[in-house]
This record gives sequence, C-alpha cells and structure tokens, in this order.
Amino acid sequence: MTAIAASTHAPASPGARVWRIVRLLTANPMTTIGMPLMVLALIFAGTWFIWWLVMASVSGADAQDAADGIRYNGAAAWIFVYMLVVAVQAVNLAFPLALGYGSTRRAFSAGAALTFLMLSVVYASIMTFARWLEVLTDGWGVLGSFFGTNYFATDAGWLAQWWIYFCWFVFFFFTGMIFAAVFVRWRAFGLTTSLLALGVLVVAAVAAITLTNSWPQVWETLVGLGTLGVASWMLVPAVLAAGLGHLLLRRATPRS
Amino acid sequence: MTTVIRAEGLSKTYGHGSNAVHALADATFALEENRIHGLLGRNGAGKTTLMQLLTGQEFATAGTIEVFGENPVENARVLDRVCFIKESQRYPEDFRVKHVLRSAPWFFPEWDQDFAEELVERFRLPVNRRVKKLSRGQLSAVGVIVGLASRAPLTFFDEPYLGLDAVARQLFYDTLLADFAEHPRTVVLSTHLIDEVSNLLEHVVVIDEGRIIIDADADDLRGSAIDVVGARSAVEAFTAGREVLHRSALGGLATATVAGLDEAGRAEARAAGLELAPVSLQQLVVRTTTGETADRTNGVPA
Repeated sequence: MTAIAASTHAPASPGARVWRIVRLLTANPMTTIGMPLMVLALIFAGTWFIWWLVMASVSGADAQDAADGIRYNGAAAWIFVYMLVVAVQAVNLAFPLALGYGSTRRAFSAGAALTFLMLSVVYASIMTFARWLEVLTDGWGVLGSFFGTNYFATDAGWLAQWWIYFCWFVFFFFTGMIFAAVFVRWRAFGLTTSLLALGVLVVAAVAAITLTNSWPQVWETLVGLGTLGVASWMLVPAVLAAGLGHLLLRRATPRS
Repeated sequence: MTTVIRAEGLSKTYGHGSNAVHALADATFALEENRIHGLLGRNGAGKTTLMQLLTGQEFATAGTIEVFGENPVENARVLDRVCFIKESQRYPEDFRVKHVLRSAPWFFPEWDQDFAEELVERFRLPVNRRVKKLSRGQLSAVGVIVGLASRAPLTFFDEPYLGLDAVARQLFYDTLLADFAEHPRTVVLSTHLIDEVSNLLEHVVVIDEGRIIIDADADDLRGSAIDVVGARSAVEAFTAGREVLHRSALGGLATATVAGLDEAGRAEARAAGLELAPVSLQQLVVRTTTGETADRTNGVPA
C-alpha cells in the first residue's frame, strides 16, 4: 500500500478556473492590447495627415462640406475586425492548450466570454475617451471625425456613446467566437457550410426585401433606431452566438 | 495499491458504416497510482486516442472510464489533477516559450517554478522564441518541461522524445526518474522507443490496431518470453504444443520466442541442446505486434 501524498493545495474554485482562462487568453498582452492600439494610432496619424492636407487645400466655406464627408470614413472600423480575429485565434488555439492544462470546456467557454466582455469594456472606454478628445479639440484641429463617424456617433450623451462602442465590440468578439467554435468542432467543412448557409440567408433576406419593395421601410427603421438602437440590437446576435458557441465547445475535441 | 485509471470496454470509433475507423476497441485495463506506466504501440495504434479519452478530451463511443474514481469528461475535480501536453499540442499563435512557462503555473497547483527554470536551462530552450518557430525537438522539450514541472498527480507524456537528440532524451529519462523518486505520481508515457525506456517502466500496456494486446508488469513481461535457439528440428520438436510468439530460421538454425516457459521447460530445452536467450521488452512488443502468431485477445499468459 502506497501512501498518497496529500495535496497541500485546496482545489481551485469554479471562479478561479474561469479566471485562469482569462489570464491565459491575455497572457501576451501585446496581442490583445499593445498591437491593436499601436495600429490604431498609426491609422489615426495617417488619416489625420490626409485631413490636414484636405483642409489646407479648401477655403473656409468648403471646409464644413469636407468635414461632413469625412464623417463617412471607416478608418476606426479596422479595430472591430481585429477583435473578431482575436476571438477566432483565442478559441481556435487557446482551446487545445487549456484542455491540455486540465481545464474543462465549460470553464474555457465561460473564461473566453468573460475575456471578450472585459476587452469590450476596455476598448469601448478607450474609444469613448478618444471621441471626447475629438470633440474637445474640434476634430483634432482639422474638423476630423475619426471616432465619431456617422456609424457610431450619437447625441445622446457619453454613456450612450460608450454603450454603442461596447455593443459593437461585443458583437464582433462573439461573431468571431461562434465561427471559431464551428471550426474547432467541425473543421473546415463545418465552417464552409455555415458560411454558405449564412450567405444564402443574407441573399434570401435581400431578395425578400427587394421583391416586396421594402427597402425604404428598412432604411426608415434603421434611421429611426439611430446609432444607439442599431448597436443595442447587435447584442441579440451576440448573445445567440455566445450561447450557441458555448454549446458547440461543450462537445468539441481538440484536434491536431 | 490504489487504482488511478480504470477503463472497461472502452471503444472509440470515428466515422460511420463502411468508413468507420475503430481507433480503440473494447479496451479494459487498470493503472495503479504512483507508478510509471508505458503505453507502447506502433504509430497509429491508438495511443493518443486512448490518452485523449482518459483526459476527457475525446468522447468515448462505448465503455466506461474512471480516473481518480470518476468520469473525467468535463469533470474539474479530475482534470485539475491531470496534465496532458500532446505530442502535436497546439499553442496560441502569439505565444513565446515564456508565455507557456508563465501560464502553466496558473493551472497546476503543484507547479515548481525553480525546477521549470532549471529544466529550461538544461534543455537549452530559448524562452523568447515564438512557439511556432521552435524546432521539433524544442517543441518536445516544452511539453516535457510542462509535464515534469507541473507535478500533476496524473501526468501524460505523449512520445516526448520526438526530435530530441540522444543527450536530451537521456536527460528527460534521468530527470523523470529522479523527480519521480522525490515526488511520486502517476505517469503514463507513450512511446515506441521501447528499449530506451524499458528500465523506467514498471507497468506496460501494449496497444495494436486499437486493441490492448499486453497489460502486464514490466518485470513479469521481461521474464514472460524467452528465445530458444538451436537446430531447426530440435527447436520444432521442443516448441510443439507450446505458445510461440515468433519464429525465424536461418539455414539449419532456428529461433523461436516461446511464451511462459517455466523452470522445468527451460531445463528441458537445455537438455535438448537448445540455447536460451532473454527477450528484450522491445523485441517482445515487436514480436507481438507484427507476428501472425500473436495472440490478439490475451495478453501475457499467466
């Protein structure tokens, strides 16, 4: 009979099991914080320089026209796509490592969701603060709108502004998570199939709207919702993706 | 002795119908606590599938598994005590070696940081290099270091020697044995380099084409078969009615690997002018996993 050396450590609590996944996914902060902020700064600098050139070449009366046009730029949209990729990489590559470390799928899924929510809070705060600076400096001195583009800006106050960014980040994180979960579970075949299915759905929706001549109503609805309403509605697909992603990961097997 | 792992009728089938692959078929065995178990078999025999099942990474098609007395699937109480870095383990894209060494301790309460750092030095692992830029041997070293330093009560090593040079392999075997003596735990080592580890192993499970063909203590196994060498006619006469695992002949000389030869049998062989030679663990496994005469359902005869 061999004596069992008693472990000197208490078993990890469920909270601790989830928290260490958050730490695992952010173990290299360069990926989740450093890189995106640096690239954002670079894009901002480039965009600002172009605005400066534009503003230097137009006279006073045309400047306001140019500024209105600028409000339709998508320069800051890059960061949302980057976060989608962060989510894909996290689920696809950290999942097998977490399981090798003896984590449960349940803890991994919860930890990933918590990580994405926390990053959404951080980035929504950064973007809101940047928008506040933008307004304060009269569009960075060149009437520019890098953070307050027509897709994201609101007049409903800073909390609403923060909420809009937050919802969009959540939407992109969990969109990335669901596609990565499909890939982890069914590999390329599953991913291709689900993308095709999504494509068919989108085409069908466009066809239905076109055939019923409903485009004016659609635009009206979107305008009626405003940036705040649209962003809030993005939480619906995000929550669905989170739930479905969790179910998929619960039966996923790490493959090499 | 306490049993750490118990599998009964364990099967894993991939695919359906005529495409079905039986990666593991009806495996029944038990592994005892605080021993070094060898999981031996050829490439594709089902070693990794079995380890994935035992660690809850894969779902069984049939049968039951008990690890520390419970089903390991999604069971944090079990998995908290398990470390399984696969031979083909994938790491996050942005991970450098230092990120692996930083994150592993969060998951293993018994983690020994000093030991890990010492191993990094001994294996000459570049901590600032990206994991995906590592050579095959360095990648194996990462798995070995995490496995050893985790001090997990149940640690799996999946072909840990891949790409390691002779010095690094010996270093792993020596370190494992030394650390195991100080910190007893259950180790499952999958390998096909059997001679190299045969001195390490206390218990051996041999798997071939998804079936467990040997499940025995290494010592029993070493004495369980013996080569009988001599004139072809004498060998044939002697082996008639005995269980022969393998035969080979060169001219008038023949060699037969005979299972379960007791002392009386050995005396009889010597009397017949035959020579007896020990069979190494490796030869025994090779002969049982290639020979047409291999007994597929039984392990070593009692």
